[in-house]
Amino acid sequence: MINSLKFTFIVALALLLQQTLLPYWLADPFQPNLLIIFVVYLGLRGGRRGDWLLALLLGLIQDSFNGIYLGMFGFTFLTIYFLLRSMADRLYTDNMQLMILVTFIATIGAGLLQLVLLLIFSAADGLYASLFSGLLPQGLVNALAASLIFSCSIFSFLEKGR
Amino acid sequence: MWELLKKYRLVIGACTICLMVLVFYSLNLRHKREATALERTLLGVLAPLAGGAASITQGIDRMWSDYIDLVNVRAENKRLRASVTSLNGRILANQEAILANERLKKLLQLKDAVQAPTLAASVIGEDGSPWFRTLIIDRGEEDGLREGMAVVAAGGVVGQVVKVAAGSSRILLLTDHASGIAAIVQRSRARGVVKGKGGDRCSLEFTVREDDVKVGDIVITSGIGQIFPKGYPIGEVTMVKKGDYGIFQTIEIRPAVNLMRIEEVLILVKQPHD
Repeated sequence: MINSLKFTFIVALALLLQQTLLPYWLADPFQPNLLIIFVVYLGLRGGRRGDWLLALLLGLIQDSFNGIYLGMFGFTFLTIYFLLRSMADRLYTDNMQLMILVTFIATIGAGLLQLVLLLIFSAADGLYASLFSGLLPQGLVNALAASLIFSCSIFSFLEKGR
Repeated sequence: MWELLKKYRLVIGACTICLMVLVFYSLNLRHKREATALERTLLGVLAPLAGGAASITQGIDRMWSDYIDLVNVRAENKRLRASVTSLNGRILANQEAILANERLKKLLQLKDAVQAPTLAASVIGEDGSPWFRTLIIDRGEEDGLREGMAVVAAGGVVGQVVKVAAGSSRILLLTDHASGIAAIVQRSRARGVVKGKGGDRCSLEFTVREDDVKVGDIVITSGIGQIFPKGYPIGEVTMVKKGDYGIFQTIEIRPAVNLMRIEEVLILVKQPHD
């Protein structure tokens, strides 16, 4: 119960930062996507039975505030989660640098996956130009945000007892 | 006699001493300006000690007065800082009020100019993703908003309402890749569709090569599609490119409204066809 409350509080805080405060202070392509950092954490250090649902929920929450295509982030986050879950046992996830690198790669991967989805399912021509120009800065900013978040270990409660 | 001396010895002794001191005093009256050996010795011995004591006393005195001063200065500094902060806050609040007043005045002028019923809303959130362009406003279904309603600001077109919740909604900005608004060039009446290009850019699509479009031309809504009333400014042409082949020309538009820093919008509640 307390863990659920903690999780809700952290997600709400991240959303508030992401949607209201950070866009005001940070230039356009340098806005972090804080929720994907949670997904990376869940994928690499989670492992509880319902974590995939959390990843999906995070994606749907992100969908509710970004773009107009509900389910796009949901799918992307879920895919990222499962990919990371399948690799987590082979990676030394206690290493913070690795976590940061994976966050960067996950951001780029999620962006590319979204591009494919948008090109297939929507008529958004020319989207690749703005996506490519925004992807690398966002990846770097996410990596920076991940380094701060992981160093604080604010969601160690999500980890499965290891 | 001896008995008498013995009886008054104390008195006699005291008087003798007094007399001696008196003699000593009278003898020294002649040399009152010069220091005697005794005086010199005592001065010599006491001078360093007196100096040290004086230094310590002065030090303590200085420390005390400095401390008192410091306490006063600190208190005064605190008062001044609080005063500066309060005044700065007031200046900022005044500036903010002036700016808000100007913005709202423009919005009010627009509201008066618009024939259809309108609803003012404040922007409460932005799209966190760099490749989408949406805003969140503080009005929703409870205020009568529906999907597809046009959103304008003092400068011109902002976008369309896309997702309506009870007390808030999202606006698809005209710069989003999914946005398309029927438009005409004000000067030459050339037709086209303004499509979002991400960032803060749009383009006028489907304008044939033969149409007369120049840099600096104002692009306005055409009223086709019955979402936006006719004649609202969308933006200004910043680039026109006609290739060697192809049916259409490439036209870039800078939006009339600064969508990056928009704070208040006006929603056209009644559709033109209502």
